[in-house]
Amino acid sequence: MLSETKAIDVSNLSVNYMVVADSPQRENQRFWKKTTQKTEIKALDDVSFSIPSGEIVGLIGGNGAGKSTLLKTMIGVLKPSKGKIDLWGRPHLLIPGMGFNRLLSGRENVILGGLAAGMSLEEVREKQDTIIEFADIGGFVDLPMTTYSSGMFGRLSFAVATHIHPEILLIDEALSAGDAAFKERAIHRLQELCSTAISIVVVSHSSTLVSEMATEALWLHQGRIRKQGEVGSVTEEYLKFQSETKETAQRDRR
Amino acid sequence: MTSQTSPTITRRATRSGLPVLADYFQETWRFRTFAWHWSLADVKAKNFETFLGRLWHIINPLLFGLIYFIFVGIVSGRGLDSISLLAAIVGNLYAWLYFSSIVTSSIAAVQSGAGGVSGQSGIPKIVAPIASLFTATNLFLRSLIAYVIMHLIAQRGVHIEMLLAPVVMILIGMLGFGCALILATLNVYLRDVSRLIPHILRLVMYLSPVIWEYTRVLGDGSLNFLARLNPVFSGITAWTIALGGTLDPDGPKIFEQIGVFSIWAVVIFCAGILIFISKEDEFAIRN
Repeated sequence: MLSETKAIDVSNLSVNYMVVADSPQRENQRFWKKTTQKTEIKALDDVSFSIPSGEIVGLIGGNGAGKSTLLKTMIGVLKPSKGKIDLWGRPHLLIPGMGFNRLLSGRENVILGGLAAGMSLEEVREKQDTIIEFADIGGFVDLPMTTYSSGMFGRLSFAVATHIHPEILLIDEALSAGDAAFKERAIHRLQELCSTAISIVVVSHSSTLVSEMATEALWLHQGRIRKQGEVGSVTEEYLKFQSETKETAQRDRR
Repeated sequence: MTSQTSPTITRRATRSGLPVLADYFQETWRFRTFAWHWSLADVKAKNFETFLGRLWHIINPLLFGLIYFIFVGIVSGRGLDSISLLAAIVGNLYAWLYFSSIVTSSIAAVQSGAGGVSGQSGIPKIVAPIASLFTATNLFLRSLIAYVIMHLIAQRGVHIEMLLAPVVMILIGMLGFGCALILATLNVYLRDVSRLIPHILRLVMYLSPVIWEYTRVLGDGSLNFLARLNPVFSGITAWTIALGGTLDPDGPKIFEQIGVFSIWAVVIFCAGILIFISKEDEFAIRN
């Protein structure tokens, strides 16, 4: 049974930022003239929603919908321009490979990556053997990570990133790491991880992944909430919208 | 129904761009072990833990010192027979390299995104320059061993002012850290700042009494004026007096120099931290 307490409360959140882009008339300009111009991006526009404790919420939407901006604002990478986010627990964004130094061995990077993920030194030392066993990269664990294949790097970084005890877990896009057998273990590990967190937000382009993992869904479109509710109905409407948009685009091309 | 407690963390828009400072510093403190281990990993990755790496780190400022000693000896016409001057130059160069390596390595750590830490994670971005500060301090302390040997060979003696050397060292670290944070923030907006940094550092070094005695500027109006505008001047002067005793009983006193340097170091340190954290969300967008 879900408790009725909130884990995340987003109220009237707007996130705008300035980017510097090349001026469209760059080629015709002389060298002393400005070749760049500032553009304001409205990534999130007056977004409000709450996520109750114990809920797994899928965040869906196309490119530029504001999904990653929302997660980055939750973890504190970006600051709100208006509104606020209240969090009842420390948010943790799953980023495989964060804090790694590729010149060092895998074993040393388990310590570094674990500390970067917010574990204490005692905790990461305690879990070191379990993480290495999960990554299953054999004797390579004591070699510099520059000698690793991308699959090995993915396995070890995934193993480190998922051996944590987050209060609010944020997952941005599907995590790809290693071969089919490892992927199966990776999904199982993610499900285990979800059972330990207070609340989880999964962000994906893929409505299938969201349907598999989440109970509730939130559809973002061009920085605003388009629909929120039970995962099945939201993803169904999202898919319908996607196919309509695709058809319109095809018609326009003809 | 469970009653709702107050939120653990609140992210809100602020007019100054600064986050809630108590929360920010608490979060930074949480990652102190990571910063320390990251610094140790950096030292190891740069081969400073091998025998040749450690040797090179000591030899490098010695060679620099020797080059400057020859240069100064020829230019000033004083010749090359003062081992004490060589030891003073080497001692000052260690302090200068400590300052400049904090500046350059911190800027590089912020610019490179510091292993994904800067751009994507919720780890406070200031952790990257803190790790660089740890690395520079670690290497500086190691290099002092070589200076102690030179000090003994040059028979520079033991002075009461030596007790203040750790204070000067801490202030140099604070000044370097503050400068690094200001320049790293500027570099996010104006990429060309990183091209200017080697020139700025070289100019500041020549305007500081690193390879010449601080007493030389006292009688020169324009040089004295420039020296007073240079935050590093009083620090290197205090360092020189701390290592070798006063050069001129009527000249600058160590407490006076430490006083001036403390003001520079504390102001730039605090300004650097505030400027950096008020703009750190820009790093995720612009880096």
